[in-house]
Amino acid sequence: MLVYTIKRLLALIPTLLAASILVFLFIHLIPGDPAAILLGDTATPEEVAALTREMGLDEPIWKQYLLWLGNVLQGDLGTSVFFREPVLKVIGSGAETSILLATMTMVWIVLFGIPIGIVSATKHGTWVDQVTSGGAMLFASIPTFWLGLYLILIFAVGLGWFPSSGFPSVSDDGGWTNLRYLILPSLTLAAPNAALIIRLVRASMLDVAREDHVRTARAKGLHPAKVAIKHIFRNALIAVAAAFGFTFAALVSEAVVTETVFSLPGIGRLVVQSILRRDYPVIQGVILVIVVLYMVINLLVDLAYARLDPRVSLK
Amino acid sequence: MNLKTWSKSAVAGLALMALSGTAWADGMMRYATVGEPPSLDQHVVTSDLATTIAHHMFEGLYTFNAANAPVGLLAAGETISDDGKTITISLREGVKFHNGQDMTSADVVASLNRWGEHGSRGGLLFGNVAGVEATGDHEVTITLNEPFGPWKNLMAFINGGPAIYPASVMEAAGKEPIAPENYIGTGPYKFSEWQPNRHVELVRFEDYASPDGAADGYAGERKAEFDTLRFIPVPDVGTRVSGLKAGDYDYAESIPGDLYADLDADNGVTTILNGGPIFGLVFMNSKDGPLQDNFALRRAIQTAIDKTPALQVAIGPEGLWRANGSFLPEGNIWHTDSGAENFSMGNAEKAKSMAKEAGYDGEPIKFMVSTNYPFHYDKAIVYTKQLAQAGFNIDLQVYDWATLIEKRAQPDQWDLFFTHHGFVPDPILISVMNDNYPGWWTTDEKAALKAKFTASSDPAERQAIWSEIQALIYEQVPTMKTGDVYTYNIASPDLKGLGEATLIWPHFWNVSK
Amino acid sequence: MTFIASFLSMFRGRKLAIVGLIWLCIVAFAAIAAPLLAPFDPLEIDPVARLSEPGMPYLFGTDHFGRDSFSRAIYGARMAVIIGLGSVVVALITGGLIGMLSAYFTRLGHVLMRGVDVLMAFPALLLALVLMTLLERSVTNTIIVIGVVYATTTARILFGMTLKLKGEVFVDAAICSGAGHGSVLFRHILPNLISPLLVQASFIFAFAQLQAAALDFLGLGLPPEVASWGNMLSEERIYVTRAPWLLIFPGALIILSVFSMNLVGDAMRDSIDPRFKDDIAGV
Repeated sequence: MLVYTIKRLLALIPTLLAASILVFLFIHLIPGDPAAILLGDTATPEEVAALTREMGLDEPIWKQYLLWLGNVLQGDLGTSVFFREPVLKVIGSGAETSILLATMTMVWIVLFGIPIGIVSATKHGTWVDQVTSGGAMLFASIPTFWLGLYLILIFAVGLGWFPSSGFPSVSDDGGWTNLRYLILPSLTLAAPNAALIIRLVRASMLDVAREDHVRTARAKGLHPAKVAIKHIFRNALIAVAAAFGFTFAALVSEAVVTETVFSLPGIGRLVVQSILRRDYPVIQGVILVIVVLYMVINLLVDLAYARLDPRVSLK
Repeated sequence: MNLKTWSKSAVAGLALMALSGTAWADGMMRYATVGEPPSLDQHVVTSDLATTIAHHMFEGLYTFNAANAPVGLLAAGETISDDGKTITISLREGVKFHNGQDMTSADVVASLNRWGEHGSRGGLLFGNVAGVEATGDHEVTITLNEPFGPWKNLMAFINGGPAIYPASVMEAAGKEPIAPENYIGTGPYKFSEWQPNRHVELVRFEDYASPDGAADGYAGERKAEFDTLRFIPVPDVGTRVSGLKAGDYDYAESIPGDLYADLDADNGVTTILNGGPIFGLVFMNSKDGPLQDNFALRRAIQTAIDKTPALQVAIGPEGLWRANGSFLPEGNIWHTDSGAENFSMGNAEKAKSMAKEAGYDGEPIKFMVSTNYPFHYDKAIVYTKQLAQAGFNIDLQVYDWATLIEKRAQPDQWDLFFTHHGFVPDPILISVMNDNYPGWWTTDEKAALKAKFTASSDPAERQAIWSEIQALIYEQVPTMKTGDVYTYNIASPDLKGLGEATLIWPHFWNVSK
Repeated sequence: MTFIASFLSMFRGRKLAIVGLIWLCIVAFAAIAAPLLAPFDPLEIDPVARLSEPGMPYLFGTDHFGRDSFSRAIYGARMAVIIGLGSVVVALITGGLIGMLSAYFTRLGHVLMRGVDVLMAFPALLLALVLMTLLERSVTNTIIVIGVVYATTTARILFGMTLKLKGEVFVDAAICSGAGHGSVLFRHILPNLISPLLVQASFIFAFAQLQAAALDFLGLGLPPEVASWGNMLSEERIYVTRAPWLLIFPGALIILSVFSMNLVGDAMRDSIDPRFKDDIAGV
């Protein structure tokens, strides 16, 4: 397993390098000049050109890339053009929101997804199964921003149960009770992903029920309930591992929309805003961090699968 | 655990979190902004959002009273020599910077010089300045090459204007905006923190020395009632409205006109109109393309457009817009109707024949607009339809704002582009007066009038020259005004002391909860 | 005829999926006959009639331009079909080819699948965002961007399925009888993959609608003047309390259509070759 892990980690390097070149190229091909955005409507082209030079953005792309890569290897992601703060600090301030949002989303997914999936599988073919599976699929068919919009209207503006938007840090006044700001967004984000988990839990439970070792266990005279519970537990764990993978992908991709609707200071909105501002260092930094995390988490999920599911072998 | 208990505990958890929320202290004002400002450095940045935040921290020598006249802020008074070329400004004593130092003439000289060299609007004044000198601890003398009428207006306009920073900060500052750790001013609030993406926070400056006199516009007494001002970026307008209604913000800016009636009728919301209207502008390219120097063709385009339906579609209720051809609004000293009869003709037939006479043969006219500002886009859609009816072949190009800014700097990329302009106290500050502004309107007629306009200090004479300039704008059409828009903001009814209307940027001294 | 019969047999006993299929037929009909069905020009601006409530003659009311929402919804169906089919074609052709070739030619596959790995490491919407800012907002570009995003998953799936088939006896037999690579790939392997591809296509079609709507919401999707359900929602979302109909109708249309497509895809998946069932987990 250790050899496998090291091999996988080494294989990440060329992928990362290719990804970073791709990102750098894409981003710098986008028209627009951060200096012009900084200086605003009344700046003259000469002023903009001067600031562009001051920020080192007039160098050829390959030179900028090598410079950037060199700094990254030394752990320096550069400085945000817009905030004039280190990129790591800018990402760090978004990371709190994104990590808490993803964690909370995962809690909902596990809390609702696994039991519903189990119920759906045990009542396979009955109306309960049809309603839960159908309901899950319906939730996966709702555009995220539409759902978020109505959740705000009903639960924040109408009933006043939860805050509508924003997220003050947990280190701010209010401490951990500030997590209530994340309830509506995390539910919005959980809705489509819970459907995937429900489907996954249901399908894997049905598969297990057909499998040989379960039949063997039964033939050996083990109590059916015991067999079921053991396998349910294992499948639930596998589903949690999968949920982690799914949610992380959602953390950034779907969270872009959720964070915009709920005005959360997370990484997703940071990317959108940075694209609009042409804040190249931040876009590159965020994408690099996300890609690394994505790959590492993928690896962890694979390892977890191997631990939990005897049918999977690592080669 | 079965499904029932699962869901029960989930609901209980939710309820617990909902109830345990602590109420925010009354000492904080939460302002939902349209986004994040590029920087708060007033010298180089002209974003209105930046000024809304920054004018609580930074002060200039002058500011505007409720009648939009410039009056002293850090300046105690001034004397002007008979030839109009020497201005001696005395400074208020006992004013402290946020770092504890006293403000002296050295700080003012350093700030004015940096603004003159690198500031967005500094060049307008400093093109005519021979020198700035400290003639005493609290006295500064400005020497001009020629008398310059708008000097006081330029000094009082803090947006892109001469905020006074400590000399120590100015020494190292160049064109690049100063960094947040150097946000040191003399205002009633001081910089606390900027959490990227989350908020900009200001806190009360305990040693603030307020100007005397009753509050009048931005002038007079300034009292920081809140402990903290927090400016929170909420780019989605729907979220700003819901957030204010739900009590998560005390103030939210830039709300769509169509919601005005509902919000105005809502007891849980106060609406505050902005006194100075903003106006959309469609610039024409004077450097390249079919419109380059074909003034007749430009007038044909101007004739084809009826501004009213575009305002109806983009803004909504009648009270929030005015199809007004004067560049400065009614009631303002600069208001004039000269040339404005051509403002909104909406005559497709006449436009068609005018275009034909001007030699237009259907070549495409590239019209750039950004969807980042919905009212630009909405109006551009209406204009495109009207122009098509008059036989113009409009190639509407929709970009994000950053792309549009880059493209408009390249003369071969466009013929028309849409932007808007904030209210300014002196027409010299309107972008079309700037020869370097994209569109590059630099005809001899303009140059002659502009020289006369800045040389004069006599208000009546300057008004007369401005009306000539406005007439010239309608004749050469370097830009088309699209009408006045009175934007409005919304606030929690708990805020006291806001006043009926906002002058230019909302301010929160003398405001409490 | 037998194809249609076998297609319909998949829906036996699945009432909900049949309802979904019927709804999709209605959408398809609206898409084809849009100019005949729409009472107004979907782009016609009428400032006087703006924000009219649903009723006659504006069945779904009018938006803030005074455009007829019902006509826009009908043309929106056309755009939904174009976006859906377009994304499916781009994803299946590029992703399918990469996947099949990679599995068949092992060395080439090593390089190609590494490239797919790189693209897969980008979260889908983020990749789409960067690409859409780089390209201009247009229908074609939106289709290409969404297609590319799903091409990566399609390539992975086809890679796995082709590998499985490559080990089958009938493929060996074809190679032994002297069939060329092209013939083996497209005559012998591809026909076995048609039905799983159809299932994959149905999921791409469904999710492309949501992706397109998300891009529209972020202001980076279809050009704003195009009548699409996503544009209708995002352009009019500030009117959610002022003119609720502007969000309810297009929202319901998207949800119904995506839901229907998912139901149909699900029904189809349950009836395909069990060897491939695990490969397609939805997009």
